[in-house]
Amino acid sequence: MNYLLNLFIEFLDKHNFNESIGIMIFSILPFAIIAAALVFVVLMLVYAERKILAYMTQRKGPNRVGPNGILQTTADAIKLLCKENIELLHSDKVIFTIAPILAFSSIVVLWCIIPYNAEFHLIDSTISLLFYVAVAGFPMLFHFLAGYASNNKYSLLGSYRALSLTASYSVPILFTLLATIFLADSMDLHKIIIAQEKVWFIIPNIIGFIVFFIASIAELNRCPFDLSEAESELVSGYHTEYSGMRFAMFFLGEYAALFVTAVFTAIIFFGGYQPPFGVYLSNILMGNCRCFNFLIYFEQTFWLIAKSSIIIFLIIWIRGTLPRLTQKSVMNLFWRYLTPISIINLILIILATRG
Amino acid sequence: MSIFKSIKALIIGHFTVIKHMFKKAVTKEYPEERPIVNNFFRGKHVLKNCTGCGYCKKVCPAGAIEVIKKDKDLVGYVIDYNKCIFCGNCMFYCPTKSITLTNEFELATDNKSDLKIDLLEQERTI
Amino acid sequence: MNKMTLNLGPQHPATHGVLRLIIDLDGEEVVSAEPDIGYLHRGMEKLAETRNYYQYLPMVDRIDYLSGFFYSYAFCNAVEELNHIKVPQKASYIRIMLMELNRISSHLLWFGTYLIDLGAISPIFYAFRERELIMDYFEKITGQRMMYNYFTFGGVRHDIPFFDDVQSIINTIGDKIGDYERLLSENPIFLDRTVNVGVISEKKATEWALTGPNLRASGVLSDFRVNMPIYDDIDFDIVLTNEGDCYSRYLVRIYEMRESIKIIQQCIQWLGQCSSRDLPFLEKVTLKTFPNQEVFSSVEAPRGLSMCYLNSIGGNTPYRVKWRTSSFYSTQILKDILVGVTVPEIMAIYGSLDVVLPEVDR
Repeated sequence: MNYLLNLFIEFLDKHNFNESIGIMIFSILPFAIIAAALVFVVLMLVYAERKILAYMTQRKGPNRVGPNGILQTTADAIKLLCKENIELLHSDKVIFTIAPILAFSSIVVLWCIIPYNAEFHLIDSTISLLFYVAVAGFPMLFHFLAGYASNNKYSLLGSYRALSLTASYSVPILFTLLATIFLADSMDLHKIIIAQEKVWFIIPNIIGFIVFFIASIAELNRCPFDLSEAESELVSGYHTEYSGMRFAMFFLGEYAALFVTAVFTAIIFFGGYQPPFGVYLSNILMGNCRCFNFLIYFEQTFWLIAKSSIIIFLIIWIRGTLPRLTQKSVMNLFWRYLTPISIINLILIILATRG
Repeated sequence: MSIFKSIKALIIGHFTVIKHMFKKAVTKEYPEERPIVNNFFRGKHVLKNCTGCGYCKKVCPAGAIEVIKKDKDLVGYVIDYNKCIFCGNCMFYCPTKSITLTNEFELATDNKSDLKIDLLEQERTI
Repeated sequence: MNKMTLNLGPQHPATHGVLRLIIDLDGEEVVSAEPDIGYLHRGMEKLAETRNYYQYLPMVDRIDYLSGFFYSYAFCNAVEELNHIKVPQKASYIRIMLMELNRISSHLLWFGTYLIDLGAISPIFYAFRERELIMDYFEKITGQRMMYNYFTFGGVRHDIPFFDDVQSIINTIGDKIGDYERLLSENPIFLDRTVNVGVISEKKATEWALTGPNLRASGVLSDFRVNMPIYDDIDFDIVLTNEGDCYSRYLVRIYEMRESIKIIQQCIQWLGQCSSRDLPFLEKVTLKTFPNQEVFSSVEAPRGLSMCYLNSIGGNTPYRVKWRTSSFYSTQILKDILVGVTVPEIMAIYGSLDVVLPEVDR
């Protein structure tokens, strides 16, 4: 960010503009880019999930609205905007209204700390990983509040299942990320990526990858762990009473969280924005010419998105195959198997790096 | 060991699902590709040389047929498609084989009165 | 103990129709459950009092639209026994072949909907893809995909010329059933949700008058096809398991599909040897009934034993038609068996009993 900011200030100085305009634009422009990208990516993710699940079941997904159905999610979002917001008589109005808004916004915050390439990130902090662990669990809290505020028995059942799920998945994620911190010696995401230059962390931390993958599917509330919004038992779980744009907030928040989780998995285990084997394609394409140096930055973002796309495909594939787990089995799985495995993994990694 | 058996079953299940991605989709895009129905299909009725005996009215389960006669001459024959269940009894039990059910199945209209069709008129106009 | 009354109301994604279950919950555990039926009552038995036999025959398919051939057969058999009409053997074999195809299609639909209740979203599409093959074949032969009106008093309506397409259908379905087993029968999540869940002991199953696959999964050897004279020359096994939980009900239905494929294979062989001059219907059928004649006609439908009781008063219309359907008794047992289970298990148990509401309410 500093590099681009300095370039821009040089450019402004040459043309005799005031320096503060540059600082002002650079405070707003990255956030505008991220917000636009967020809307675009979330709409594309909904479309991608519908198409992939359709092809896995030998159908075609949406293919009427727009060329090949790309505008389907836009049409759905516009339709949801035009629907009536049903106000309940006996619900807790304050919590009922703010729960979907906060569930979506807490994920938007996480989009700001992701390092998209070596220069572009909105918030640069030495404790970004800790921030991720703290904030990634927020949407589940708001799912619980939404179900509680709805004054509906189905939503209540869904919301207290969400609470038990939250307590279960947080511990394995924490221990796995502690192992990563020991491997990389820092909580800063940039430094974690730079520490993976020689070998990606999936190789020493393979057990941690499996635990983290399973726990993050639970965090996203997706099949096989979608017990809090189980469609065939509780009509829609915690979002039964929501209609219109409020439901769209929950829905889109879930897909925004899916992207964030995939990107963090790529950063923590697969080397982030670095290309495989450290070979930059733009270096090969341009030979020794140093003129288009900034192409490297675009390539880094491309690698990050490519890795997270593969992880998103895996998550969607798992959704299409497996049935749903019950609350007893989920707690059994997390507390009796995944938590001890992640603690043992942490101890082994500490011994390997320090001992 | 049962853990290995479970993991193997999970992986086989995943590959069973993913191999369908490479098969052709079974969706038929309506209205560009209309379904092709066979010759026994029971759709809209067509009348030909009806004698007005009234057997079809006696075997219709829904009471959808009305045979209008004036002095032993057949004047009108109305089927109400609001009530018809397309069972084919009128075709099976007609002694002179005058009524047949064709392949036409697209019946949606805007007016309810469009659905009471006089088959004798239709026979005359064709 | 704080009780919460939850209404798994008539509108619910997973009750397979309009069933209302009034459940008292303590946390996630059920304290008492009561089914409330009648939302799909169409008066099938009352309608018979004002319609003659020919008018009532197309309506019988609609009692359970997923297994229309079985109810059609039960009614035709009842009227034939009442009037001493002898059905040609070719017609019996065609009837058996179509009934077993219908059994496969009904079990496929059960399979798809049971799994989507449990949360897996792919198998329902695979099951419906196979059902399309069967329904296209039914349309080729009878003229309609679901409400066939093909069986009549004295046989079937028209002849089937060749059977190559049936052979290819059952070959495809035989392979695909292997696909489903590989997808699910060893899946740990599926096993975790169905093994030792909803155990119905032998004694309980016979006390509550369960029939069909539900009874055979509990270990009771009872299959009405053994008593039906038209199945005398056909060789098939009766599928039994001992445990009586949801997983064994699933296994019984999967293996029953394979047994039906065996039966259809034998029918195709017999019909292939038959000459094309044999007609599967009688040229002239007269119905002449006398007062106070009554007959019971039973058939082994996919969900259990279904029976038609026909009482005639002489003349064209029956006096009383009563239908004994198997889903009615499967709904009754819910009151006993849902006590003490958790909410996800309600869906697993209810789905495995294969209750279809048009059969319950008629």
